[in-house]
Amino acid sequence: MTFDFVEPVVFALLSIGVIAGGAAVVLLNRITAAALLMAFTFLCMAGMFVLLGAETIAAFQVLIYVGAITVLILYGVMFTKFSDGPRALFFQKQTPIAAVFVAAVAIPVALFSFTFTSAPPRPGGGDLPALATSVFTDFAFPFEIASVLLLAAMVGAIALTRRDDPEEAAMRRRR
Amino acid sequence: MTVPLGAYVAVSAVLFFIGCAGVLTRRNAVVILMCVELMLNAANLALVAFSRKYGSIDERGSVFVVFVFVVAAAEVAVGLAIILSAYRNRPEVNVDEIHQMKG
Amino acid sequence: MPVGPFGIDPFIWAPLRLIIAVGLALFLVLNGALLQIYLERKIQAIIQDRLGPYHVGPFGLLQTFADALKLISKEDVRAKATDGWFFVAAPALVFCPMLASWVVLPFARDIVGTDLDIGLLYLTTLGSMTVLGIVIAGWASNNKYALVGGLRSAGQLISYEIPQILALVSVALVVGSLSMIDITRSQPGPFVNVLVLPFSFVIYFISALAETNRTPFDLPEAESELVAGWLTEYSGMRWGTMLALSEYGNVTVVCGIITTLWFGGWQGPGVDAIPLLGVLWFTLKVYAFIVVMMWIRATLPRLRIDQLMSFCWKGLIPMALVNIVAVATLALAFPDTLVPIAIANWVLVIVFIAGIPFVQRRRLATLRARARASTAPAVRAAS
Repeated sequence: MTFDFVEPVVFALLSIGVIAGGAAVVLLNRITAAALLMAFTFLCMAGMFVLLGAETIAAFQVLIYVGAITVLILYGVMFTKFSDGPRALFFQKQTPIAAVFVAAVAIPVALFSFTFTSAPPRPGGGDLPALATSVFTDFAFPFEIASVLLLAAMVGAIALTRRDDPEEAAMRRRR
Repeated sequence: MTVPLGAYVAVSAVLFFIGCAGVLTRRNAVVILMCVELMLNAANLALVAFSRKYGSIDERGSVFVVFVFVVAAAEVAVGLAIILSAYRNRPEVNVDEIHQMKG
Repeated sequence: MPVGPFGIDPFIWAPLRLIIAVGLALFLVLNGALLQIYLERKIQAIIQDRLGPYHVGPFGLLQTFADALKLISKEDVRAKATDGWFFVAAPALVFCPMLASWVVLPFARDIVGTDLDIGLLYLTTLGSMTVLGIVIAGWASNNKYALVGGLRSAGQLISYEIPQILALVSVALVVGSLSMIDITRSQPGPFVNVLVLPFSFVIYFISALAETNRTPFDLPEAESELVAGWLTEYSGMRWGTMLALSEYGNVTVVCGIITTLWFGGWQGPGVDAIPLLGVLWFTLKVYAFIVVMMWIRATLPRLRIDQLMSFCWKGLIPMALVNIVAVATLALAFPDTLVPIAIANWVLVIVFIAGIPFVQRRRLATLRARARASTAPAVRAAS
């Protein structure tokens, strides 16, 4: 007897978590609950990455999505009071179009994806060395550009949300 | 018994279209941002799964996931900044109501 | 039939090992919290020339047991306006990442939950998850003080994560591995990493104080301004889980990381002969740092929130970046020896410590000038 049955079971649980969490983000009207369930979806997704043998990506996933992006979105939720109301999802003009569009594309894609029947091979010894080698050799230039993008985003976010301090503005005028 | 590649891709596709439906139907700007994050994440899963099958020696697919992370972080920071500064001008996060720029 | 460790069938051993590991981690967390609360009170009492707890048991040793019993037997109070299951989930969200961090802490040569090859990344990842629980706690409490505490905490933890990770990167650069076991093995005998990378140790220690909400960075729960910050609405064992277990557990984890990365982990005299001695050395080193943290708490006053943020973004992060650039360049230029890196790092430490008075003086001067400029017209108008 071996542990072979564990992987499909874990995969099934994780995929239920991912899909249910994602659906709840779209369907729930309580926005804080949606944000927390989004974090749950991201965690289940990290579990899937571990199943695929990409532990480093899983760690980045939790670090960036759960630790940073969810918290940022919660910040946004707390700073903006709103009443999404019951009309948020139903009875609006885009809903039928959205349903038709999504169904028309999603069902063929989901069916098509099952043509990939072979099991993914598991690499030995983790994905960290290979990933690091790729990032810092073949993809060194995109990596630098990505860092410039992050810097630009940071400066842009600060510039957009900066409120002029009235006291400082008065000081500047006096000078 | 192992999980076939198609199962991962199917989960990824389903999550992507859930996010897509959310972007199309929800009116709250913050929720739209969340749904975009879901779509990006679904793409990540597909990338990692295919990287396992076709490039497990140099992890090229996973490298692309790292760049998606960078873009997602930048996007959420700037997106929230835009939402907050729009909210400051007029306390409203319903994207249907933000139309002052309309000619 | 395959035979695993101790002659047990691996099919039984795998879940058994999991249960043993979780049980041991829980045991250590619970007892560590009891011991650390006692130490905290006793050390502060000694520094402030008081007696501290001394009624219950010899030297008051059983005081924290009594407190824990009181917390467990307390009524479960929940304000009506709190946010349902968020309020209940928040303590778990803070507690679970802390407990999971214990998996990769190496207590001795073979006594480690699992030797992940991304151990360091795993630890930072779990450290970043704590923020979520704190923000949720602040939001769910439906209380101004709790919300402000939660938001402050999120800002502080996310900001201080950056210098923390940058400090870890320099260690990973020098050691060439992220596995906690490899990092420990790379510093045999007296040549521990702190001699090579003292500056990244200083940065990590400062940001670890902020990450674990210790004074002088305990703004999220600043009693004098925010009642108890994000903990305001919590009582009984929920409060106990959040504050006592999670905070002290996080302190232990952080001190364990410091010990492993910079102070040789379980290595010490006599470890080669008796491997179990490693547990003793590791624990002693960890508790030495915990005592230093308590000493700092009794010594330094609390920062203001803008000081906290500007210290991180204008002080720690640039210095950490300079440190990484220096270490990486020197590691590339001199691949065989660590001496240039050590020299550069010690110079950086000296510059950092010597620079603080100058920066402070300039800041004070500008503050005074601003105060003079803003009060001067008012004074003129009055006279």
